[in-house]
Amino acid sequence: MLFALPLFPALAGLAIWTQGDGPRLRLALITGGAAVVTLALAVLAAAQGWQGSFVWGTGLELRLALTPLSAAVAITVPAVALAVLVFAAAHEERRGRARLLGLMLIFTGAMLLTVTAADLLSLLIGWEVMGFCSWALIGHHWRDHTNMASGRYAFVTTRLGDLGLFIALMATWSGAGTLDYAALGRLNGTALALAAFGVLVAAGAKAGQGPFAVWLFRAMDGPSSVSALLHAATMVAAGAYLLARLHPWLSGVPGWSGAVIALGLVTALAGGAVAVMHGHAKKLLAASTSAQLGLMFVAVAVAVGVGYPGVAVVHLVTHAAFKAPLFLSAGIAGEAAGTYRLREMGYMHALPWTAGLTALAALALAAVPPMGAAWSKERIAAAAMHESLWLGLAVMVAGALSAAYAARFWWLAYAPGNTAPEARPRWPEIAATGALALACVGLGLLWLDPVQAALPMRLPEGVSLETAVSLVLVATGLLAGLTLARREKAPEPQAADWLGLPALIDAGIVLPFGQMARLAAYIDDAVLDALPRGAARLAKRVARGWRWFDKAGPGAVPQGAEGATRMLPHGRRGFRGLMQADHRLIDAAVWRTVAITRALARLSDNPGETLADGLPEGAARIIGHSGADARRLQTGLSHHYYAIFVTGAAAAILFLIFRRF
Amino acid sequence: MLTLAILLPLAAAALLAFAPLSASLSRSLAIAAAALSLVALVVVWAGFTPAAGFQAVQEAPWIPALGVAWRVGVDGISLPLALMSGLLFVAAIAWPMEREVNARQYYAWFLFLEGASLGVFLTLDLLIFYVFFDLSLVGMYFLIGRWGHGEAQRAALKFFLYTLAGSLLILLAIIALVLMVDPLTFDMRELIAMQPVAGMDLRAGLILLGFVIGFAVKTPLFPVHTWLPPAHVDAPGAASAILAGVLLKMGTYGLVRIAMQMMRETFATWALAIGIVALISILWGSIVAFAQENLKRRIAYTSVNHMGYAVLGIAVAGSAVTGHEAARDLALTGAVVEMVAHGLITGALFLIAGAFWARRQEYDLDHYGGLAGNAPRMMAAMGLASFASLGLPGLAGFVAEVQIFIGAFAVWPWLAALALLGLIVTAALFLGMLQRIFFGQRPPALNDFADLTAVEMSVMAALLVLVVLIGVWPAWLLEMIGAGALLATGGG
Repeated sequence: MLFALPLFPALAGLAIWTQGDGPRLRLALITGGAAVVTLALAVLAAAQGWQGSFVWGTGLELRLALTPLSAAVAITVPAVALAVLVFAAAHEERRGRARLLGLMLIFTGAMLLTVTAADLLSLLIGWEVMGFCSWALIGHHWRDHTNMASGRYAFVTTRLGDLGLFIALMATWSGAGTLDYAALGRLNGTALALAAFGVLVAAGAKAGQGPFAVWLFRAMDGPSSVSALLHAATMVAAGAYLLARLHPWLSGVPGWSGAVIALGLVTALAGGAVAVMHGHAKKLLAASTSAQLGLMFVAVAVAVGVGYPGVAVVHLVTHAAFKAPLFLSAGIAGEAAGTYRLREMGYMHALPWTAGLTALAALALAAVPPMGAAWSKERIAAAAMHESLWLGLAVMVAGALSAAYAARFWWLAYAPGNTAPEARPRWPEIAATGALALACVGLGLLWLDPVQAALPMRLPEGVSLETAVSLVLVATGLLAGLTLARREKAPEPQAADWLGLPALIDAGIVLPFGQMARLAAYIDDAVLDALPRGAARLAKRVARGWRWFDKAGPGAVPQGAEGATRMLPHGRRGFRGLMQADHRLIDAAVWRTVAITRALARLSDNPGETLADGLPEGAARIIGHSGADARRLQTGLSHHYYAIFVTGAAAAILFLIFRRF
Repeated sequence: MLTLAILLPLAAAALLAFAPLSASLSRSLAIAAAALSLVALVVVWAGFTPAAGFQAVQEAPWIPALGVAWRVGVDGISLPLALMSGLLFVAAIAWPMEREVNARQYYAWFLFLEGASLGVFLTLDLLIFYVFFDLSLVGMYFLIGRWGHGEAQRAALKFFLYTLAGSLLILLAIIALVLMVDPLTFDMRELIAMQPVAGMDLRAGLILLGFVIGFAVKTPLFPVHTWLPPAHVDAPGAASAILAGVLLKMGTYGLVRIAMQMMRETFATWALAIGIVALISILWGSIVAFAQENLKRRIAYTSVNHMGYAVLGIAVAGSAVTGHEAARDLALTGAVVEMVAHGLITGALFLIAGAFWARRQEYDLDHYGGLAGNAPRMMAAMGLASFASLGLPGLAGFVAEVQIFIGAFAVWPWLAALALLGLIVTAALFLGMLQRIFFGQRPPALNDFADLTAVEMSVMAALLVLVVLIGVWPAWLLEMIGAGALLATGGG
């Protein structure tokens, strides 16, 4: 029964996509209706505790179930998707709109499969289908070559992380014989460690943590409604959700919690710094997403073995509520300015409604009470305080950074100015943004004690002194952000491009891999193929000797060879006859003898190849290549060297890990 | 019924070879014959009981003194492969010819090739297996040489000689294997039951080596794969589809049926070595494919990658590591699914590549761009096949690969972990291919590029519907394979 929840939006999306572009209103009604039904299904499923299972293969069963945590996310996802879809139907250009909306529904379905999954195989299926959707959606405006390239970048990067999930899945099966989440509890030793770190890599990749943050920037080439969905409800959020969901089984692994905290904290601070610097409206928000997801990572793993996955999920929900309207607002402002450069904007007078509603969402991002997001951020800070004072302070600094970039974003986009917008939003766009912005305010109920008491989770105790410090930091951040925004003039520093990480990845991985592949292709043609060619050439020599016998006269030839030579011209005629018209059926065995002889002779007729034997030729070429490679290493192309070094180190580490397994 | 499935295409081929029929009549006759052959196979499937040994067996004595007889029958490996081949032949024959010359002979050779190919999968006699194995080379040689383009004859010859060299090794190994038993028999069932080389050392190893090298050429595995790209590049699309979809499977089928099942102990001894060769093929095939600028060469090298997965699964299944029976079942199931999935997916990809050639006589990726606008059906078909090939869940390739990986990890964790890297490279190379053909700015020269026709689209639909069906609901196929029973009778 629970399968209906992911399947319905997916099938509806497929139907909308294949049906093609129609009148805007009809498309909007159908898509919105599908999202409403999905939301209703999610509420029903959560209320009635639906479950589902499906025999997929021998010993492999897909299982779906809802826990309180996953029910909260399962309701958030279609709710946010509904608003985003309404916005998209009104905002995005006509061409390809049905494809866009259909794919966004499929995306929602895949996310719901990920959320409801109760075994690793269902999880992997939803997880990777999301990757496909992100590829297609980022490249939505496919006529621009760079968009599709960005989609590919996103897909390949996140799939690199998916390998971690594959490892987790394989380790779980080999350790426990099944793939349901509970099986994780029966693992121990290396298998459990592999599963735990594999899940971490997969989650980190989707959530744009650490080195994986780069794909979120490239993903900004997609339409802004796609960004809103991707960052708020699907894909990126899935990373934090996965850690929260699997936390009970993984938290005990030595070093795991520490790794999660380190990854999350570094990303939270670095992402905050990047967002403070960046001048591109959507990229600023993308960096902020990495940072906020980093805070959720910290919340999941903080206080070793205990953790507050519930707090992480609450922050996921509040984050969805403010991040989606911010992206939608960036879409409106970007459309108005014709660019996403924040410096070109400033629409308080021209777009007062949008400006006001965005302010609510920006306050939530800045974690200003009484917004719900402020409460969840304070809980994360409190939880971090339990771990250590420094961790708590670091989380507060990350919070100050988010206040700074939130203020900077809002001020630059909606400062009072005289800029005349190129385009104005339609009312559904404002309504969708507004609904989400009001949800941010509504989530402020979380500050009330009875609401907190009703939450089905353990909450970290806060100290009022800590909250005061945190609020002071937030206020400082707001002021700093406004100051920065008012002084904004020069283009952003180079470090704003994720601290140079994309360039490093290009130089360290992408380019060397391309070169390696081309070298491999050359070796394949030139060396591996030399052996058979050499054999053919050798045979040609034999054939040439044969011909010499033929010329020397039949008298000089022994009986058997004479018969063979006589067949040669005869067979040649037959061969030609076959190639022209094969209405004569020729005995295959005889033909083959002839064909070989002729073939060996033909193959060697290549004028350029005069070496006597292919083997020495091949060997010489290999040596030549190694020499060229060795020279290349010494000629200052250091990134080759680093790539090889990294590969070697990785291989050595893998060897050490698996030898003990 | 199985005899009928083999003889029907052969008889139709003979008819086409001698009767002066028109091109369109030849085409209809060929489609009908291939479809009837498929129907015969489906009838066998309808009466098939999973995991119950060889079924639908027919036997007729031929050379009793040598123990050779016309024996046919199917089990959980050969039936899915034969069904897939039967379907792919219908698709390839129904696919429009690229160069419409000598249509009658073209269809005759296709049907001849179909008879030979089905014979390889359906026969239970080792000698007849060998005969059909070689006859398939003849059929493919003519299809490439006569209806190919570029240096077609040279490519055909290279293909023929290279694979013939492999099959000579197989012949030697077959003779050596059969000479071990007394009285002489070529009956596969008896050979599997007898395990002729059990307990021997050097001789058994050499026989296995002969089989493995011979089948590795056909599969093809690194480093004996270099005949594959030229053969594909110059072949017509439909012949490429059969070459990749059906002929390559003969290599992996032979590995399972002969090397693994008849030489259980010896295979287990060398399973790890075979697994390592498979791993190298997986990585090498994908990396080299990544660098190809030619559409067909790119797809051709991914075959090396995918067949590497299949061989990895077979190696794991035959490894006989105790305590991992369930993992080995899973790996063998995965390998068979990989064979079926690769046949459908790569068959579809090569047919589309043929459509590109038919329209533009060009495989260079740089020649294309921005075709999503005027060829959306083509993009949908190729996109679906590409994502299936790179292993997206919900499509057939994933079902195969995830089972192979799970099984392999339980037995050789590091092999499986390294093989995972192939997934990344194939993702990058297929997305790059789609991107360069279908997206970005369209060169003005391509403005009149025509989308898939109704005929082409229906052929694609037949193949791709199965790819989706297997991906979403694989249980029916996995049940048909029933790998547990296969291991019990053949692998120990």
